Amino acid sequence: MFRIFIAVFFATGVLQASPVARSLVRIEATSQEPDYKAPWNPGEVSGGVGAGFIISGNRIMTNAHVVSNARFLTVSKEGDPKPRPARVLFIAHDCDLALLTVDDPAFFKETAALDLGGIPAIESVVSVYGYPIGGNRLSVTQGIVSRIDFQTYSHSGMDSHLTIQIDAAINHGNSGGPVMQGGKVVGVAFQGYSGDVAQNVGYMIPTPVIRRFLKDVEDGHYDRYVDLALSYQTLFNPAARKALGLQDDDLGVLVGSVYGGGSSDGIVKAGDVLTAIDGHPISSDATIPMDDDSVPLAEVVERKFKGEVVTLDVVRDGKPGKLKIPLSDPWPFNLHSNVYDEDPRFVVFGGLIFQPADQNFMTAHQPDDLRLRYMFDFFIEDKIYKDRPEIVVLSGILADPVNVYANDFRYAVVDEINGTKIKRLADVAAEFAKPADYYVIKMAGAGRPIVLERKAVEEARKRILSRYAVTREQNP
Amino acid sequence: MPRPLFNAAIAFFVFSALCLAAMAGVTPQPKAPADKPPESSNASILRVNSTNQAYDFFRPWTKKAPYSRRGLGTLIEGGRILVTAELIANSTFIELEKAATAEKSSATVERVDYESNLAVLRPTDPAFIAGMKPMALDRGVRVGDRATVLQLEPNGEIAQTLGTVTSIAVGPYPLDNMGLLLFRLSAPMQQRDGSFTLPAVRDGKLLGLLMRYDARSQTADLISSPVIEHFLSEAGKETYGGFARAGLAFATTRDPQLRRYIGLTEPGGVYVTDVMTGGPGGKAGLREGDVLLAVDGKAIDQDGNYEDAEYGRIAFSHVTNTLTHPGDTVTFRVFREGKSLEVPVKMESRDRSKIVSESYVVDRAPRYVVLGGVVFMELSRPYLQEWGGDWPKEAPQRLVFYDAFQNELPEDRGKIVFISQILPSPDTIGYEGLDNLVVSKVNGQEIRSLDDLAEAAKHPVNGFQKIELEEDPGVIFLDAAAIESNKDKLIKKYSLPALQRL
Repeated sequence: MFRIFIAVFFATGVLQASPVARSLVRIEATSQEPDYKAPWNPGEVSGGVGAGFIISGNRIMTNAHVVSNARFLTVSKEGDPKPRPARVLFIAHDCDLALLTVDDPAFFKETAALDLGGIPAIESVVSVYGYPIGGNRLSVTQGIVSRIDFQTYSHSGMDSHLTIQIDAAINHGNSGGPVMQGGKVVGVAFQGYSGDVAQNVGYMIPTPVIRRFLKDVEDGHYDRYVDLALSYQTLFNPAARKALGLQDDDLGVLVGSVYGGGSSDGIVKAGDVLTAIDGHPISSDATIPMDDDSVPLAEVVERKFKGEVVTLDVVRDGKPGKLKIPLSDPWPFNLHSNVYDEDPRFVVFGGLIFQPADQNFMTAHQPDDLRLRYMFDFFIEDKIYKDRPEIVVLSGILADPVNVYANDFRYAVVDEINGTKIKRLADVAAEFAKPADYYVIKMAGAGRPIVLERKAVEEARKRILSRYAVTREQNP
Repeated sequence: MPRPLFNAAIAFFVFSALCLAAMAGVTPQPKAPADKPPESSNASILRVNSTNQAYDFFRPWTKKAPYSRRGLGTLIEGGRILVTAELIANSTFIELEKAATAEKSSATVERVDYESNLAVLRPTDPAFIAGMKPMALDRGVRVGDRATVLQLEPNGEIAQTLGTVTSIAVGPYPLDNMGLLLFRLSAPMQQRDGSFTLPAVRDGKLLGLLMRYDARSQTADLISSPVIEHFLSEAGKETYGGFARAGLAFATTRDPQLRRYIGLTEPGGVYVTDVMTGGPGGKAGLREGDVLLAVDGKAIDQDGNYEDAEYGRIAFSHVTNTLTHPGDTVTFRVFREGKSLEVPVKMESRDRSKIVSESYVVDRAPRYVVLGGVVFMELSRPYLQEWGGDWPKEAPQRLVFYDAFQNELPEDRGKIVFISQILPSPDTIGYEGLDNLVVSKVNGQEIRSLDDLAEAAKHPVNGFQKIELEEDPGVIFLDAAAIESNKDKLIKKYSLPALQRL
């Protein structure tokens, strides 16, 4: 224990003079988590500490999760105790990166912008800088590059990108800090495991992902990552290879599903065999050779931007061909992503709360209702989005004489109101805005309708709003 | 809102379904002072020890370890012994034992009904029960009456627990969740060896069989005498008809806003929320949105109860399921679009062969087909239940949803055939991780049962078995000639008794 303390102290002392100390910032974020159970409430305020580093153009790079839902941000330089207000320039939740700036130009005096390096070699040593488990002083740990692979970025919970695993510990407060090698940034520390899952496993966002983010925002706007929006499987089985008319050359993957509304919809077909992507031959384990390494074939798409085209070599019905895919946003996948910096949307009517079921909603409510879980889980696979771009749920009941018989319907999916199909939350608001004697709400699946009389709803309105301290009846 | 058909709106009791076997604490019990059953009770009770063995749905070619259940059987007229179906479910051997002398003999199941949880056994040797007296049924029980639950002491003496009938209502029976009449008895029971089925008697007559007991609240649920009577009457017939169902789901009409909206001015009625395709109600023309006002002239209230001459306010399904036999007709008075009409419904029991995913599979082996190491099965709830108590969340979700929403599938959907697992072999290289994937077609043929699959597999296309799946990977291929020649190796390696059981 004592020896470790000395070692850190020593390292810190040396670093005072190093360029990294002049580039590192400590970020203090005050954020407000939205309340999906009482969606009109502003939500709980909490504080957190993360790291960041200065890059060219008076910009500070950090993780998106350090500054998500932020209401107030301050940054302070190493060795300069004065915190200064900062603001978010760009935030990319799908790759957990953000750019901040400080409007006071004096802040950037005496600082040094860090440059980006490349992908560090396996087994090479890297240093991680940050403010693990709080603390005001810079901490540095060292580790080696253990593995380079695709990993899910837990901030969105849905997106996977190239990730570098290192054996240096990454803890709270390391997030957003630079990982250095040879005086250059080779990654941004961003996630790890708790000690009871895995030891000495930390992850950093490598420079191809960082560079893509920086390029994407050059036009002043962050577009999301693009995606082929299809699934493919390895093709190891000799019988499958023969049946599909392939040679015994260990090339090609089989397309399982093509998701509607995505880039490949209408171009690629389930059952096609993909043999090359932009000229890179695809191995039967779904990797391609790139940068002297073998990487998942998706890496080609990862480095492209909205509107760019990817070329696929395919074998369809035993015949080879080429397909050009213009790349676009991966809707409807976004339903399964965690959402930040957005207020929950809802409608309250007659004490009934209606909300669209997105990932945030499901995480907050953990509903047991099987039909709701089915629609959410299989939203993409079973093309639920075609009839229902949003799954609108009766998420809660503010108990009142007007709605005492609606209690059985909590977490039921709204199907119709007064004969109109409910495809999104806006339809709910629109139907309730129309004058009618009765509002008849039908839920998906068998069940009686919920009937609300307009008169009763009007009588109950003020009573419910004041009794339950509902400050807004809908958002937007 | 997914709801089980027909029994939907009944306010089910919530209780922990602890059966007696799970009760803790073994203390000697003083004999109940009053209501000592006449000598004939002792002369009608036998120990029934059943050795049961269930199939392993994860390895459908094997059985799990056997276990034994012990209960008390009641001799009824015709030299038969009445027990709960749970006692003898998946039985491999049933032993009868005389309480006093510990003489033993075997028995076979003559008739079993897992919906009503009842079975009649017949002794292999009719002479074994010579001298014993059959017990008659007591149909006159009312709330507040006293009844005695019989147990046996190790020495063969009868132990009696006196209880009070606290409620009579329609509630769920264990295996199929069917709503049938239950007697609830409040009685401080003690754990005794062999308490899986216990008779409850009054004045030497059988009023019910105890099927579950909650030790905390000291309440016992009894299979009621009207249900036993219905079962025995069906069991006496050449073809067992079972218990009929109307094939309807309904909801209460307590909400005055709903009543005003549909223009319902009569005081009672239940709102039909679902009509099972091909079920008796559907065949008779009942529709979603109908309000059922009366059954056979008995008014149905807003909660779905009627005033029974014997038992007071109970769910009207007692009339359709228990008082009515399959083939009988009941007449509903229906409120539809402002008018009242009479709809006769010819009641039928469920055709179990048409059930997509069965809620129980007992006394028979699960079906399977193994094709080159790929194991195919048909979806059933026991398969999902292999994931344990929290199976609705733990089991593969697509299969859980198929099971839950099976009534919404097209009528000709047939069974859900799926790949349950892969037994890795040279033929399945690259497929190792695949499991719980629903099959849509094999060699171009639509698959609605394992029989379809076995037939389609006889016709490989261009030398390949092409198996199309509803989800990723979409399709897999097997080399038809290779799996044929590797067949014996596969059987040997995985100790399979056969490559299929249909």
